[in-house]
Amino acid sequence: MRKFRSNWSQGDRERYQERSDSYRERAGTSYLSRERWTHQEVVTSPLPKPVATSSLMASSVDFKTYVDQACRAAEEFVNIYYETMDKRRRALTRLYLDKATLIWNGNVVSGLDALNNFFDALPSSEFQVNMLDCQPVHEQATQSQTTVLVVTSGTVKFDGNKQHYFNQNFLLTAQSTPNNTVWKIASDCFRFQDWAST
Amino acid sequence: MGHSDQVVRRRARCLDMYQRRFSNVSQPVSLGMHSSSHQQQDGDAAMQGAHMESPVRYTPYAISPFHRRGSFLKQDQTHVNMEREQKPQRRVEVNRPHGTLGSWFKITIPFGIKYDEKWLLNLIQNKCSVSFIPVEFHYEKMNATFYVENASIASALKNVSGKIWDEDNEKISIFVCPDGIPHSVQRELKPEKVEQVKLAVNQQQALDIQKLPIYSDFMTCDTKMAPNPRKGVAASLHAHEENIPKVMSSGEMDKWKGIEPGEKCVDRSPVCTTFLNNSSNINSILELFPKLLCLDGQQSPGPTLCGLEAHKRLPTCKGSFFGSEMLKNLVLQFLQQYYLIYDSGDRRGLLGAYHNEACFSLSISFNHGDSALSILFKYFKDNRNIKMLQDPYLRGQLLKHTKRDIVDFLSALPKTQHDLSSILVDMWYQTEWMLCFSVNGVFKEVEGQSQGSVLAFTRTFITTPGSSSSLCILNDELFLRGTSHQRTQSALFTLVPTPFSSSMPAFSQEQKKMVKGFSAQSGMNFQCSQKCLHNNQQDYSRAVPVLAPPKVCVPMTESGDLAGAEKPKPNSQS
Repeated sequence: MRKFRSNWSQGDRERYQERSDSYRERAGTSYLSRERWTHQEVVTSPLPKPVATSSLMASSVDFKTYVDQACRAAEEFVNIYYETMDKRRRALTRLYLDKATLIWNGNVVSGLDALNNFFDALPSSEFQVNMLDCQPVHEQATQSQTTVLVVTSGTVKFDGNKQHYFNQNFLLTAQSTPNNTVWKIASDCFRFQDWAST
Repeated sequence: MGHSDQVVRRRARCLDMYQRRFSNVSQPVSLGMHSSSHQQQDGDAAMQGAHMESPVRYTPYAISPFHRRGSFLKQDQTHVNMEREQKPQRRVEVNRPHGTLGSWFKITIPFGIKYDEKWLLNLIQNKCSVSFIPVEFHYEKMNATFYVENASIASALKNVSGKIWDEDNEKISIFVCPDGIPHSVQRELKPEKVEQVKLAVNQQQALDIQKLPIYSDFMTCDTKMAPNPRKGVAASLHAHEENIPKVMSSGEMDKWKGIEPGEKCVDRSPVCTTFLNNSSNINSILELFPKLLCLDGQQSPGPTLCGLEAHKRLPTCKGSFFGSEMLKNLVLQFLQQYYLIYDSGDRRGLLGAYHNEACFSLSISFNHGDSALSILFKYFKDNRNIKMLQDPYLRGQLLKHTKRDIVDFLSALPKTQHDLSSILVDMWYQTEWMLCFSVNGVFKEVEGQSQGSVLAFTRTFITTPGSSSSLCILNDELFLRGTSHQRTQSALFTLVPTPFSSSMPAFSQEQKKMVKGFSAQSGMNFQCSQKCLHNNQQDYSRAVPVLAPPKVCVPMTESGDLAGAEKPKPNSQS
């Protein structure tokens, strides 16, 4: 595509380039201003992180930094996750690790294929998150793989069903590249609060 | 001499170019198109002659001027008209039953107009690992285009891209689109059917678009054929029954084996969210795809219409999940020990359950009606809801760290009685070093102002194997809420609702300000906030440190701002 001279393909390429450039730019500089994720394109790198990871791996980094990072990751993740679940359902599994598992009201779904099938079969949703809490997971459990526990609560309306209160928790794990950190879901546990009466 | 030779050669090249541009059907295609192509060529010869006498100098390597493109298009239409006038017997013999859609791929070589057809196809075939039969080779604008009928062939051709060079040593690219049907094949189908398929696919209703591996190169596909990926995709579907379910279920794309999904292109397709609103469309789609199970991730219209089970249902909710009997025993034993100490009245025994550097936090939710509000109020000052709480200092403060701090905090909470017979456990992650599970249940406060009140909880533990086959808690998150369902209350508990006072005292200006802040932070409306604060007058002072910093009282947008922000921003829809 590099040597395309005709206008229409160049325009397309430029638009795409612009989109991905602006994503990188936003990701790198606007982490603190927390812009809403508005792109329609599918996300494969949900949570870029401008801070070099080496600073986090050093043992001199204090606990506060871990907490801060966990909070930021959790916030951004939750925004993206529920919006993707509601509006771009087919892209949802990109937020999961290949071997991720989901326990959905006691139903176990394991691996990306099964997750794809599962989310495909789930009716369309409207989530409203009212509560979000998170903690950095101790490295003894994760063998120094940066991990965050995210706990959410709120309401959800699945198409064709009544509204439910739900509780959900995620284990988010960081995958670091030189430029950013990608957070992916290692584990997902979802429950209606009134699961017994459904 | 030399000059005239050059002119002759140039003229020959020009003639070549004209022939290519104005003839849509190539000669050596081995699918019985000979007669039509010959006719085509004859028909064009007269026109070619006319063009050759045009005084305008033809520059083959430049982008053609507009008027030329215009005449090319006209020529295209003329060609189509001529085809239609031919006798009905003259048709393409493709190796498949009539009236079905093959899995066609459109192969485009950008700037392929520079190249002689035979030369180009030979070059590609030499490099391509599989032999292919190009269908309807023609030149479109500046590109060379042909169709192939097989996904693996298309894939093999795609691999050739960038690995072949022309005589000027420039790389030749090959782009592949799962797009469109060759004209000749299209004419095999009833026109209405094709229209319906195109219409349906246009409306993004038949296919799970993002699951199909649309190439990143797709954006370069000739927009005349298919302005967007949706239109042509149906044509790529194999109409044979055994393949349809594969198209519909994600991850099972045997038909597409060997083709890499083009994530970049998938990004460009907006997610389909439209419903079918025309029953005739549904019927025609289903006629073509009898095993259609779902329509682009949306609930399909009722089974009576399609004759198929098309409703999406929520999976049945199930009880506890432990993973294995051994883990179940381990977790239940842990919980029994934990709550035995927790309910004993002295929680210092829990020091042995926590890791030195464990974390704990508490969160609450007011969803379940007024009766829970006053019970939950005492937990409010420790409520860590980072959706509402933007101040990093407070976020840090509300997270209890080290076992000492955690146990001190837990010891200050009211004495409780947990009902272990009604708990639900989800064991959601397990490795060699960690065991993560969530406990859902109810407990009763057995002392204090809300004595007898029942609350529901969800407690999430992340544990690691500790000494003497016990579990050591690394992370502990406690979520509290009221109970609104009779079923969640076990026989041990009786719910005693706390009545609200009917008369409200006058609030001072400062108190009003605090109520406003309380309301903002808790998400409760003003009336509820007032009630809460009124009913808990003696706890008011405890609530104040949380509310005092004005920044915390600023209504937060969903995307939030750091507490360092100077100006409050308007509350966006949460």
